[in-house]
Amino acid sequence: MKMTRTAVLLLAASILLPIPFSCAEEQYTFELDEIEKKPYHVGGYLELRPTLLGLDRDAAVYKLRFYDRDEGKTTEQITSILQLDGSLEKGIARLFARANFALDHTYLGWDSHESLFEGYLSLKPGRSWDLRFGKQTMKWGKGYAWNPVAFVDRLKNPDEPDLNLEGFFMASADFVRSFDGSLKTFSFTPVLLPAYGDMNDDFGEAEKCNVAAKLYFLFFDTDIDLMFLGRGSRSARYGFDFSKNLLTNFEIHGDFAWITDFTKTSVQETGRTLKTESDVAAFLIGMRYLSRQETTYILEYYHNGRGFTEKETEDFYSFIERGHDAYLSQRSDAILQRARTLSESGYGRADSMRNYLYLRISQKEPFDILYFTPAITWIFNADDRSFSVAPELVYTGITNLELRLKGVALAGETFTEYGEKQNDYRVELRARCHF
Amino acid sequence: MMLKGLVVILALTLTTPALALEGAELLREVDRNLSPESYELYRKLINIEPDGRKKEFVLFTVKKGRDRIAGVFIAPASEKGRSTLRLGDNMWLYIPNVGKPIRITNLQSVVGGVFNNSDIMQLDYHVEYDVSHLEDQEKEHILHLKAKTKTVAYDRLKMWVDKEKVQPTKIECLTEAAMLIKTIYFKDIRDFGGGIVRPATVETDSPLYKGYKSVMLFANFKKRELADEVFTLTFMSNLESLR
Repeated sequence: MKMTRTAVLLLAASILLPIPFSCAEEQYTFELDEIEKKPYHVGGYLELRPTLLGLDRDAAVYKLRFYDRDEGKTTEQITSILQLDGSLEKGIARLFARANFALDHTYLGWDSHESLFEGYLSLKPGRSWDLRFGKQTMKWGKGYAWNPVAFVDRLKNPDEPDLNLEGFFMASADFVRSFDGSLKTFSFTPVLLPAYGDMNDDFGEAEKCNVAAKLYFLFFDTDIDLMFLGRGSRSARYGFDFSKNLLTNFEIHGDFAWITDFTKTSVQETGRTLKTESDVAAFLIGMRYLSRQETTYILEYYHNGRGFTEKETEDFYSFIERGHDAYLSQRSDAILQRARTLSESGYGRADSMRNYLYLRISQKEPFDILYFTPAITWIFNADDRSFSVAPELVYTGITNLELRLKGVALAGETFTEYGEKQNDYRVELRARCHF
Repeated sequence: MMLKGLVVILALTLTTPALALEGAELLREVDRNLSPESYELYRKLINIEPDGRKKEFVLFTVKKGRDRIAGVFIAPASEKGRSTLRLGDNMWLYIPNVGKPIRITNLQSVVGGVFNNSDIMQLDYHVEYDVSHLEDQEKEHILHLKAKTKTVAYDRLKMWVDKEKVQPTKIECLTEAAMLIKTIYFKDIRDFGGGIVRPATVETDSPLYKGYKSVMLFANFKKRELADEVFTLTFMSNLESLR
């Protein structure tokens, strides 16, 4: 009886008390099937992003977009994205494709769009050569938020510089050589980008074959690139970039582009458009610093010679106001429609003006909260002193799941870039599940 | 008295360089016993939190010569395709979504946990450290190492080396002021074939991260000769093709 009672007590204790009875050291395993390589791969991510937008009903861009409807003070949207990556390898050949499927619900209702971001055949006849044919991105430039030397890529959004971009159809090659001296690496990347018919119809002028190239040097521990784009669908342009660690935790970088015969269409307050053509410079200088406390600082200054001046931007917003007044008084939206076209051709770009500062501060695992990274980003328009500020919290503690809560607030006086955007603020939660 | 002092000074002058040479040779032998100069290798990195939760990463690594090493993550899905390259004092990270390499430091950690980039992209010890002092004990040597340059992650190392196997059993990573940053333990000697017999498990813990532990498991460790062009920025997006 005594022994039975003791046995029962021990059994209860082993269930209730979280004290392991085994003191053996934990065994870690590494199975061969974890490293087995298959000739194909399919992966990607599924993303869900509900967003709340606070509308600025006095802003010029709000009037441009919502002049014929009333969406109230806020609007919600939900975006879901499926990004699929696939590859197939055999011998020296590799097929790669990246497709993006998006389904949005906004104030306009449901909308879906699908894009082939990249799809190319790669051939590697030797270790020094890589030939690619198909839709691809080049990602030239060392800047984080902007890349003025990205001559054959689409524009990045400085608010989300890490997002995948849709490429262009092109043929490219990489030829690489390594050395043992101060020059450690050299590579040459020629590019042929045809713009005929539907192919690359949004690159620029049609019926042109565009030639571009990049030279890369790792010289005295500095990454240096020289690039050019010949005259074709776009005007000729030349550039260089560099990146170097001055200290192990302090890096500097820069992009410089010289763009010939750049055509800019600006609008005056009266509505008269003015076309100018000139050679312009666009450049960026920046730094990245990692502190002992694992805080990362990224600071960049960007001069966009293609951008509009403060006066040109004020004139555009005045033009919109004139158009809005005309709509209210005469129900005529002709001016606003014209303003929309101008917006799509330049004024609506993320970096439409000339001088910007970018500062991003992120802290790895503050207060020892594992896999948690808060950050804050400022984009400051140095011409009109308007700005956006975006705090965010990222958590990656669950394998293959990334959660991000991000807010963006815009501030600026009347007729400034961030003062006249359609939203005052935006709050979004992004859940991204990788597979 | 003076003569005795002179004899002592003479003895130290003659033996110190000899001891230094012996220490340097021992360190080179440790490096060669840990790995061939050029190899390929799979590793699983496991970050263990105080509550027992784990996060695992699988990494394929290639190394050539003194100072070229590259690695690509093959698991989990969120990290797949992310690669790192080290060329001497230069280190880069390539993230597939970003699509281009960015410079990083050896103090950062691309996977979190106690291991940092320097631990994962480790060059030979004799490349980065000089032997400042050698202690001889019954079953072990203790090597006191000093970093050759300020770019090395740890200013000092204290390395316990098994006399019979001439391989480390433990390394303490220290600051210039001899403060302990982390301790690395080498365990589970295994024959990987091709003459590679070395610890298959490396564990680390740190007084700066109390309760946390990181473990590195080694598999498919092989000698391999690779072209120099593999260790370039251009090749970072293609590292998986080497598997």
